Amino acid sequence: MTSLSNDVLLESRGLTVRFGGLFALNELNIDVRNGEVLGLIGPNGSGKTTFLNVISGVYSASAGKISLGGIDITREKAHNISSYGLSRTFQRSRLCLSLSVFDNIALGAQRTLNNGLWHNVVQRKAFAAEARKIAEEARELLGVFNTALPDKLFDPAISLGMIDRRRVEICRALIGKPKLVLLDEPSAGMTHDETDQVVDEILGIRKSLGGLTIIIVEHEMGLIERVTDRCVVLNYGKKICEGKFRDVAADPVVREAYLGQA
Amino acid sequence: MGMIGQHLLNGLMQGTIYGLVAMGFTIFFGVMNVIKFSHGDVLTLGAFGGLVAVWAANALGLSVPLQFIVALCVAMALTAVVGAGISHFLIMPLRNAPPLNMLLMTMMVGTAIREAIRLFFPNGTNPQRFPELLPAGGFNIGPSFFRTDAIILIIAGAASIGAVYWIINHSKFGLAMRAVAEDTETARVMGINFGRIIPLTFALGSITAGFAGMIYALYYSEINYSMGLLLAVIGFTAAIVGGLGNIWGAIIGGYLFAGLQTFVVAAMPSMSDYKNVFAFVLIIVLITWRPTGLLAERGSERV
Amino acid sequence: MTPTSRTLARGPVWPLFVAVAFAAVALTALVLIENQKLLGAALAITAAVCFCAARFGGVAATEVAASENPWLLRGLLTLASLAVIFVLRDDNFGLLMLATVLIYATICLGLTVQMGYAGLTNFAAAAFAGTGGYTAAMLGQQGGLPDALVLVCGGLVAVFIGSLLILPVLRTRGHYGALTTMAFGVMFNVFLDANDFFGGPQGLKLPGINLFGWDFTNDIHIFGLVLSSYVNYVILTGILTALAMIFVGLLDRSWVGVWFDVVRLDETAASVFGLKIAYWKVLAFTLGNFLAGLMGAVYAKMTGFIAPANFTFGDSLVMVSIVILGGIGNRWGVLPAALIVVLLPEKLQFIQEYRLIFYAVLVIAILTMRPDGLVARRVRKLHTEASA
Ligand SMILES: Nc1ncnc2c1ncn2[C@@H]1O[C@H](COP(=O)(O)OP(=O)(O)OP(=O)(O)O)[C@@H](O)[C@H]1O
Ligand SMILES: [Mg+2]
Repeated sequence: MTSLSNDVLLESRGLTVRFGGLFALNELNIDVRNGEVLGLIGPNGSGKTTFLNVISGVYSASAGKISLGGIDITREKAHNISSYGLSRTFQRSRLCLSLSVFDNIALGAQRTLNNGLWHNVVQRKAFAAEARKIAEEARELLGVFNTALPDKLFDPAISLGMIDRRRVEICRALIGKPKLVLLDEPSAGMTHDETDQVVDEILGIRKSLGGLTIIIVEHEMGLIERVTDRCVVLNYGKKICEGKFRDVAADPVVREAYLGQA
Repeated sequence: MGMIGQHLLNGLMQGTIYGLVAMGFTIFFGVMNVIKFSHGDVLTLGAFGGLVAVWAANALGLSVPLQFIVALCVAMALTAVVGAGISHFLIMPLRNAPPLNMLLMTMMVGTAIREAIRLFFPNGTNPQRFPELLPAGGFNIGPSFFRTDAIILIIAGAASIGAVYWIINHSKFGLAMRAVAEDTETARVMGINFGRIIPLTFALGSITAGFAGMIYALYYSEINYSMGLLLAVIGFTAAIVGGLGNIWGAIIGGYLFAGLQTFVVAAMPSMSDYKNVFAFVLIIVLITWRPTGLLAERGSERV
Repeated sequence: MTPTSRTLARGPVWPLFVAVAFAAVALTALVLIENQKLLGAALAITAAVCFCAARFGGVAATEVAASENPWLLRGLLTLASLAVIFVLRDDNFGLLMLATVLIYATICLGLTVQMGYAGLTNFAAAAFAGTGGYTAAMLGQQGGLPDALVLVCGGLVAVFIGSLLILPVLRTRGHYGALTTMAFGVMFNVFLDANDFFGGPQGLKLPGINLFGWDFTNDIHIFGLVLSSYVNYVILTGILTALAMIFVGLLDRSWVGVWFDVVRLDETAASVFGLKIAYWKVLAFTLGNFLAGLMGAVYAKMTGFIAPANFTFGDSLVMVSIVILGGIGNRWGVLPAALIVVLLPEKLQFIQEYRLIFYAVLVIAILTMRPDGLVARRVRKLHTEASA
């Protein structure tokens, strides 16, 4: 490993998000290293989703600083942040259910597509070539899941089951070839077996897409243990612990945070 | 200078009417998240009901004060029944539809009421004279002349605003209503009769329209089939500017709109035909500045 | 795909022929028949046939055939239109009604882009059309500008007036957004009524269209036939409707259409994946207002006279009703919906006086019983583009 500063992809310093009097994030310093899978855990309401929201530009920071690949993105709008190579999934599935799987996945590649009116309405051949390319890539990504999903590319998203919707969301997040992917509870609403399957799939994607950096929020500790390199534990918007999952899980402060909440 | 008192009175009068109408909008929105655009035409219906009641009472030979009471009761009862009926038969079945569908639906209900009055009320296309039931005359303060009936109407209007405010905030019914508004499911679990509260709420909101319709009729001594449309647009505007669901906001919005209109008329008499244009432009500017209303707290959508 | 598997996937073509022929015959009959009883019978038969076609898969088969044979569809529609025009060639009133239906339908295509695609509420479509109409009238008084440019200017001025509203439209959502355009729609009328410069309540007169030297007040003499001068307007509005239809259709089947949908359905997801919400909303608002202004100008020139009463808030409501009635977001739906809303009250004499109440009850019935409209929008499938 080279020097640390080169190695850090995302950096938050003193990051604070307030809703009225509530500190959803409180002076948070988190570094995410290039190529690692960082687990973000903590009790309900501890600010995990808020952290993902603020770095992807959905919420704005009340104080502090975020930089991505050395660029300050604290004040950037969400639609610009994606162009620095960040994409994500959502805790509550956010597919456009009345659109086809293809349309939903294409959204993930939006930055790479030609949005000009002339291109879209008049140069139909060029447009069709783009559509073919996206369809191919989408099939390939969906193929990782080893299911019948690639054949459902033009079905409406609403016809899919919960687990397939999650998969489509993950594809949408990956098709734009991001540097950093945020996964918010990818196993939410799934059975135990399905969760195991998702773990394997994430590991598979990881392998096929080399240097991808991932921040994953999860309540399913088995999943966290298997996929993460490192974990950060939040409680009441503050970082209370950081390190390998084994060490973190053994930490008395973390145990108390989880028990105190239960 | 003598005009100032006149303008003030006029503005207060209109503000009271607008505030009453806006309060209806905000009550419906608070409880069901719907914009009931037919509200203005329910108001018209109330005024016409009052007119028919006056005619009937007159034919029966009742005294003027009795005519007044009969008219008021008929107007309020009619609007209550119609409001509850609209909510039960038309709004409830659509409550899970997209907001646009609901808005369009209530606009069309309003159109149907308006057209029905125009077509089926005797000579309904023309304005109808509304008899004067309140004491005529007035008094001077300095150079300004104050109409007695106007003073009475403003006080009555303000009192009714206060009464509705009290019902919502301090009565048992108001408590149930606010519980439904806060969280329909929880209210239902806690044993609040959802199926009764909703029509009653719409009845209450519509009674304010009936009352406002009577105030309008008594003040201007003339009513017409289409008077509700502009009142609905203005009332909706006032409710929006104040922040939907916020009673105080609606009242303030109503007086604000009337204030803007009156200001244009008073300051630029030559432009008085444009008073609504000015008022709407200002409202559009206001809504651009505070897109969720003047009194709304700013919150970010949860993701 | 191999050619064989492609031919295998195709449905039969004949439903398309039948559907277009039926539409043409029904349309002609509805316009021509004057006798109220006959008309009622014709309406009942049309409704029954449509209902049966929907019930027993005829509509679906037609849709499949149409989407698989776009050029055949366009050719058939052109032929059918010419046939209808030929039959109605000297029925001035009927032709005027047809042109009006087409104008409404095209304005509603613009509304479809705004409300159906990008999710912008617009309760001022009639005001934007009126802006186009008044532009044409004012430019006509100055003279000098060729009419093709006058019509385009109608659209552009509507876009300009719309751009004054863009900030509130972008900043507000839902009911708050509805207020902005509603206030504008009401204001437009109040302003024109009060303003002498634009003719006040009496309105303005304006001359007919003269396009590239061809005066639209002339009858058309062709193959020894005489076609009423109103055929000019039917052809012009027909071409404009067809162009708008094709444009909106291509737009829908492109990234732009997908992004509009995403912006309507989920602004958060849209912006997280890099869509600039404001840009797409402005684009949709602009396209829709241009169509409204353009067709408003054509309407003004066609009727030769405009007044504030032609462009009231009630008319905007009628236009929104057409969009909902047809099935919001389905561009084909606006044609039958515009036909029902514009033609029926004109034809059915007993309705005329009651037309607004008729609209109101019709829309209430549709909203409660068939909230997706006559023809619900289908899920977009870009597989033809993506697998050619
Ligand atoms: N838009 C918002 N407005 C107001 N408060 C919010 C908003 N979003 C989050 N909060 C509050 O911020 C705190 C942190 O919420 P957050 O969703 O980040 O928790 P979380 O760690 O993701 O919890 P969970 O495990 O339940 O998903 C909570 O108290 C929540 O109520
Ligand atoms: Mg969360």
